[in-house]
Amino acid sequence: MRYLIIGGGIAGMTAGEALRKSDAKAEITIVDEEQHPLYSRVLLGHYLKGKVPRERVFLKQEDWYHQHTIEWLPGTIAEHLDVKNKFVRLSNGREYPYDKLLIATGTAPRPLDVDLRGVSYLRTIDDADHLLQLLSEQKKGARMGIYGSGFIACEYLELFRELGLPITLAFRGDRFWSRALLPEAGELVNKVLVEGGVELHTHSNLQDLVGEKELKGFVIEEGTQEVSILGVGIGVVPDFTWLADAGVEIGKGIKTDEFLQTNVPDVFAAGDVAEFKDVVLGRQLVIMNWQNAMSQGRHVAKVMSGEQVPFELVSSYSINVFGLEAIFLGDVEVSEADEVYVVGSLESGGITQVFERNKRVVGGVLLNRNRDRILITKAIKNKQSFSELEFVTD
Amino acid sequence: MPKIRVQVDPDLCIGAASCVTIAPETFQMNDENKAWVLDHGEEPGGSTYERWLEVTEDEMENIILGAQSCPTLAIFIFDEEGTQLFPDV
Repeated sequence: MRYLIIGGGIAGMTAGEALRKSDAKAEITIVDEEQHPLYSRVLLGHYLKGKVPRERVFLKQEDWYHQHTIEWLPGTIAEHLDVKNKFVRLSNGREYPYDKLLIATGTAPRPLDVDLRGVSYLRTIDDADHLLQLLSEQKKGARMGIYGSGFIACEYLELFRELGLPITLAFRGDRFWSRALLPEAGELVNKVLVEGGVELHTHSNLQDLVGEKELKGFVIEEGTQEVSILGVGIGVVPDFTWLADAGVEIGKGIKTDEFLQTNVPDVFAAGDVAEFKDVVLGRQLVIMNWQNAMSQGRHVAKVMSGEQVPFELVSSYSINVFGLEAIFLGDVEVSEADEVYVVGSLESGGITQVFERNKRVVGGVLLNRNRDRILITKAIKNKQSFSELEFVTD
Repeated sequence: MPKIRVQVDPDLCIGAASCVTIAPETFQMNDENKAWVLDHGEEPGGSTYERWLEVTEDEMENIILGAQSCPTLAIFIFDEEGTQLFPDV
């Protein structure tokens, strides 16, 4: 059996490792855009803050691939998929045949139209090293800029706060995680940030950067904001260009059924790139977090080796920003819910939103209400309705 | 039955709860959104980030899987001799 895995991140690697465990003889190739062996992107925040040394970020050493007879092609990307003759042409010019193909290419940060030295993105360890280099060149008290209102913006917020640097934050809408948070919850996040000393500009579009070669600031409607580093976290974009003409169905991500199989035989998808049929939540969606990517990698390996079982996971993710604990459980898209119920309030400092569809709980956002976690996770798993839940009140 | 020491570093734990999903008998999130270590779903001696567990081979494998799933590698597992089983050193 010849397994070809495009993508060497946590989804692709977990799949490769599981396939090796279940079949000692299979040929396994992992095509990896990165030059580094597998590392934890989630640990980059800790690494930047100096909480863990650089070597601790890595989950595998370079010789691991060889030891497990996995062919690892670092610094390589897929350029063309031929589903009829079952091969992928890679950037190294070679054509790799497959019996089973896994697409686990993840996504890349959405870039600004403009660039200057001092603009930072945060996805890879190279991005983190670049940011550390920029930080090392800063004068004391230099102001940091952040553009965006999602998880990456939070990573920058936490880092700059840890370093004691003043922060200017701008984003287009009126609140963080605008697809998941209702106005009141958004207000709570903004309040925490402003009270934490962040200069906040909502409803702001980045119009230009200021500076010759080095960044001096960025321009929004309210004028020029002087900053010497700008952390950008305005979403991600997957790359599907190599799949053109292959006939693989693509929506927001690569569409798969509940087994993580695409519409093309012997082609599978997992991780951030997969728009899978979630049997727990009852709809097709993309989930972009570590836990989902790893679980799907492990699961898709089973399916690829012939065990036809549906993928089931109530995914969760959480982040702490300026002391505010934000937890996301299951399906948290307001537009996909029939009802979003609010427990707690801005005044009490804690808000939980419960997402309901077809009279059953499908998701939850918890801001400073960690105690609701078990209740909501269980409600999603057990298909309960919101009215059945008993919340602990203050 | 193997005896292992399971330890969560609360400074590294970010509350992603992957460990709870995989090994709920061993890990449970607390109010600070950090993972307590449980002994087969129980907390003899109270809540703690570290305890000795007597487990079957299967249970041990699953607990290691839970530790491997942690995106910040906040879970450490040692054998009876004190050798670190995870993360690989």
